[in-house]
Amino acid sequence: MRFDLAVTIPYNLFIVLKMKKLNITLSILILLTIIAAITSELEIKHAAFALIGFAIIKFIGVSFFFMDLRKAHAFWKVAMLIFLLIFTTSILLIG
Amino acid sequence: MALVAMTYYDTQEPEIFHTSRLQLNSTIGTVNTIFLIVSGFFMAVSVRYLKKDEVKKSSLFLKLTMLGGLLFLVLKTFEYSHKIEIGLTIGYNTFFTFYWLLTLFHVIHVIVGLVILISVHIGINKKKVITKIEDVEAGAAFWHMCDLIWLLLFPIIYLLF
Repeated sequence: MRFDLAVTIPYNLFIVLKMKKLNITLSILILLTIIAAITSELEIKHAAFALIGFAIIKFIGVSFFFMDLRKAHAFWKVAMLIFLLIFTTSILLIG
Repeated sequence: MALVAMTYYDTQEPEIFHTSRLQLNSTIGTVNTIFLIVSGFFMAVSVRYLKKDEVKKSSLFLKLTMLGGLLFLVLKTFEYSHKIEIGLTIGYNTFFTFYWLLTLFHVIHVIVGLVILISVHIGINKKKVITKIEDVEAGAAFWHMCDLIWLLLFPIIYLLF
């Protein structure tokens, strides 16, 4: 059983590494999260725009590639983009 | 809506929001974001395997997905206990009222998501499979929704003010 797990997990992780689109998305998402955390520590002008921008890119990445929204009906894609537009505009205008 | 309201209150009490935000540990928030993102990634892989009828592999990645959710909850519990210890509770100020309400509401969704994933995991591993791919996809959609909410909560609560 132990041997099985020791072989199965690395083998499956290796196969997952072959899933290109998912891996690229994952790498970008993690990178943007770290960049956002660093940006907030630095005193940069208009950091809010950058932070919200990173969040929006991550939101699109998860919904389109992890949730497979890119294969969904155009209605859902447009609905999501409208939501993001309203959300971003509200946050940036009020803030 | 609550995040928009929070941003509005920030314009009313900018000093309180800024000092309160600095009392949050952004490193914990960042690590938690990574836990949820990786967990969402494993969920996507799990669904792909199930679509190929590879139940064992799908089940393995579903377990890894749940592990990501559990790690998120462990870190959140640590964060909450520290906040309660130093008195930063829900009534401390406006910022912390929003912080507790929004993050607790999210945590409840993560717990519900984990229950759904456990039920899906049991369902796909039964000898007589009764869980359809649509059920798994619905569970995955709920899990990704938790992920999406956190992706908006994290920068606004932990980084913005």
